Amino acid sequence: MATNPVRSGMYLADHSSTGPLRTILRYRELLRQLVIREIKLRYKRSALGFAWTVLNPLLAMIIFTMVFSKIFSGQPHYPLYVFTALLGWNLFSLGTSRGLDSVVLNGPIIRKVFVPKAIFPVAAIVSQIVNFVFTLVPLFLLMIATGAGFSLSLLWLPVPLLSLTCFALGIALLLGTFNVFFRDVKYFYEAGLLAWFYATPIFYPAEIIPSKFKLLLHLNPMYGLLESLRAPIYQGTAPAAVALISGLALSLATLAVGWIVFHRFESRFIHYV
Amino acid sequence: MSEGRVRGPVSQLVQASGAVEVPQTSAPVFPRGRLPVLAVEDLSIRLLLHRERTRSIREYVIRMVKGRKGERDEFWPLRAISFTVHSGEIFGVIGANGAGKSTLLKVIAGIIPPSVGSVVVRGRIAPLIELGAGFDPYLTGRENIFLYGSLLGFSQKELERRFARIVEFAELEEFIDVPLMNYSVGMSARLGFAIATDVEPDLLLIDELFSVGDAAFKEKCEARMETFKAKGVTILLVSHDLKLIQDTCHRALCLHHGQAIAIGPTDKVVAEYNKFSTLSSPS
Repeated sequence: MATNPVRSGMYLADHSSTGPLRTILRYRELLRQLVIREIKLRYKRSALGFAWTVLNPLLAMIIFTMVFSKIFSGQPHYPLYVFTALLGWNLFSLGTSRGLDSVVLNGPIIRKVFVPKAIFPVAAIVSQIVNFVFTLVPLFLLMIATGAGFSLSLLWLPVPLLSLTCFALGIALLLGTFNVFFRDVKYFYEAGLLAWFYATPIFYPAEIIPSKFKLLLHLNPMYGLLESLRAPIYQGTAPAAVALISGLALSLATLAVGWIVFHRFESRFIHYV
Repeated sequence: MSEGRVRGPVSQLVQASGAVEVPQTSAPVFPRGRLPVLAVEDLSIRLLLHRERTRSIREYVIRMVKGRKGERDEFWPLRAISFTVHSGEIFGVIGANGAGKSTLLKVIAGIIPPSVGSVVVRGRIAPLIELGAGFDPYLTGRENIFLYGSLLGFSQKELERRFARIVEFAELEEFIDVPLMNYSVGMSARLGFAIATDVEPDLLLIDELFSVGDAAFKEKCEARMETFKAKGVTILLVSHDLKLIQDTCHRALCLHHGQAIAIGPTDKVVAEYNKFSTLSSPS
């Protein structure tokens, strides 16, 4: 990007003088409304409606089980193994792919009213958290059905969830910024997301990865994040400390980078959306 | 209208002269003791056309390869605009199509950030620019009141308190739980107007006058405008209608190709505008 020889202008009003985070907090009612809209309208005109949020990963889990449970028969409670990771993966992949597109999709609003622009990616991620919470119901049913059982380590669940959320939001803000200027980003990301899905031990155990690719596995942030999510649900243990802490640190760093980049460029969005 | 504040020059503290060239003020923006609701100082919007045009990586690469051979395709939708609007004042903005009137309103509303200069707004803005921006056709009237209301920065409590009044004003009691896509154009315009104007703003931004709904509703809109004026709400009015500007505004600003050609008492500015438009387009 060429440097801007003109010193940047200043705009001060009640809604803009408080900094981006405070502004979003002031618009929390809008955030609520955007999340409600997303959840209400996602499955409009479908007979099952919101139930699809739950049915979608369940159907995926059933298919993976039918295809792979024989191959990975060494994996106990295979349906639960897949389903847990699928929930985490969906939170990330749906949150990021919708979040990175959200600024462009809400262009008509951005062109007509003042609105803190980061609210759109934030709303996309929050919607996926709401969905995640609803899919906990079939998850718990599945835990009973497979006989995996519950343990007190479930109390750890909010921590990997927080990491996943921060990581997803960071990616959504970062890629969302680029996507405003190059709409190609969205299509690259969708293809990349598919590769990422197969590169992450979601429906297969991490052990089957040949040792020469082990480094690659450990460089994949989603591996650690999903393992941390699996531990309290699937293994019934506390997440491994290293994975938990490094995951959280990486997620917060990603969020910080995404946040900074987004706010560095958001004043120019208006000319592109 | 109170305190004899009928049409006429109100505050001549800052730039009340019908200046042809807007001087760059070095004096403080706010005169002590009387704070303006809106202070625009040396405001410019600059677009770099080559930059703002690039839309895909392919184009970007082509441009990198070709290089930018000293491209000077800057475009200034607004250039060095300065004015202040004081509490209770009704300020008009006139100019031909493409003069930058709507851009100016959008900058004041916070939609477009200034490239140079500053815009300072004190208090709450009610932008009647694009009524019903963000209306979702699949949501009901009720849901849209909360969506659009929150977009304008209202809290849930405020909206609940205003809900009945909004519905009553828009005359949509029977249809409030119907999706907006089944509304007529007039119905959703009425709803947009009702939500956006059910406020106690410090600064009201109006782009053109809305011909919303039938004669009866128009009368209601005008009545609401009158109450705003009576309450002493500061209004910035953008219009093509010179007569309307002359009848309602204390002071006015005339824009031409993004530059201020006259600021001051409405009559003078309108006269300047007429002189200018006959000069530049002899037809």
